[in-house]
Amino acid sequence: MVAIIDYGMGNVASVQKALNFLNVKSIITSDSSIIKKAEKILLPGVGSFAQGMENLRKGELDKILTEEIIEKEKKFLGICLGMQLIMESGSEPLDCEGLGWIKGKVVKFQDESLNIPHMGWNDIKVYNNTYYKNCISKDFYFIHSYHVVPDNAKDIAATVDYGFEVVASVQSDNIFATQFHPEKSQDAGLSVLKAFFNQDAES
Amino acid sequence: MLKVRIIPILTFNGFGLVKTKKFTNPRMVGNPVQAAKVYNSRGVDELVFLDIFASTQKRKANLKLISDVIKECYMPVAIGGGIGSIDDINDLLKIGADKVVIKTKALLDNVFIKEAVAFFGAQCITIAVDAYSTEEGYMVFNALEVSISLKDFIMQMVDCGVGEFMLVSVDKDGMMEGFDIDMINYVKSLTNIPVIAAGGGGNMDHYKELFTKTKVKAVGSASIFHFTQFTPLDIKNELIKINIPVRI
Repeated sequence: MVAIIDYGMGNVASVQKALNFLNVKSIITSDSSIIKKAEKILLPGVGSFAQGMENLRKGELDKILTEEIIEKEKKFLGICLGMQLIMESGSEPLDCEGLGWIKGKVVKFQDESLNIPHMGWNDIKVYNNTYYKNCISKDFYFIHSYHVVPDNAKDIAATVDYGFEVVASVQSDNIFATQFHPEKSQDAGLSVLKAFFNQDAES
Repeated sequence: MLKVRIIPILTFNGFGLVKTKKFTNPRMVGNPVQAAKVYNSRGVDELVFLDIFASTQKRKANLKLISDVIKECYMPVAIGGGIGSIDDINDLLKIGADKVVIKTKALLDNVFIKEAVAFFGAQCITIAVDAYSTEEGYMVFNALEVSISLKDFIMQMVDCGVGEFMLVSVDKDGMMEGFDIDMINYVKSLTNIPVIAAGGGGNMDHYKELFTKTKVKAVGSASIFHFTQFTPLDIKNELIKINIPVRI
């Protein structure tokens, strides 16, 4: 069972729809006892970093998630804001602390000549192939105004060209996350989700 | 490299899909759920669904029907029509909308738009801007008797921090005679927020012109898909030939 964390930040329905399509059992929840029982944890989310952290802290979800992911080493997938929140710090709208599971920060796109948000389909360059092996298309759907800057290059799973090489995905041990929306990226996105959750079912 | 988005726009009248010309004479063009299913199977980049008479008829969008439309979609979906409160947006996001498209409320209440951006994030809020040309410059078309220039409205929305504009040329709507290149360039000169250009696409040359003569990265179209044999893929295949990046 996958726990899709419900913390009031956006479209959990579309994430679950994609998992249903792949026959992956999931539950949308903020209940700590269900999260503790889940085998894998998915943190979706859109919206501002500060609001996301505030909502996580409200139900002590930050502590529960850290316990499950860092101490118990459960497999974790973060999507969009769910990827940004696992970094040490964010800046949306003001500087604030994140979950800190991966060293690095989240910053705003600075180049005024770019369209901001970075919105639409863009192709990624893969550095860690674990979950991208089966993607025929490398085009994924992005929609974000802030981007992740990890301290360690080894944590970067994929990048995307948007004026410069922007981090599109991070991976470290049991933690995997994407800045793009796999649940909205049709076949390419479904293949990443399938790789992530199927491998887990086999292990 | 970021691909240009080819976005079918479905306009709904409360009963079925309709297509207008210059925002009048809605003509019935089919069933929304069936249309969504077809577009999903064709792998379109994104879909926009608008309940275009919701605000003027003072009713909320039809959530049951929208939910059925979204269920068919594994690509991003933007929904508009009758949005007037944070709860309205929440209702749409809960059933799987990725973005909401707001027009009427944006003309009446900037504070609400700011609140919506703060609450849901810029990426969630698309503003529909229906504009037409006058001797005094471009104006925003609306049924509210709000008189505001295109520039003033765009700048107000930029100030609110919105994530995207859907710019529709009222003069070109449904005419299939080409896009309003001047108007699109004018808006692009005002802001770096993404713009979906809509109104006027009727043949392949129109799309080539749009993406070579303007800096927009997204186009919204309806008539060409309803009334010709062309599909979004046909447009992409033409754009590739002139080195415009598209997702196939």
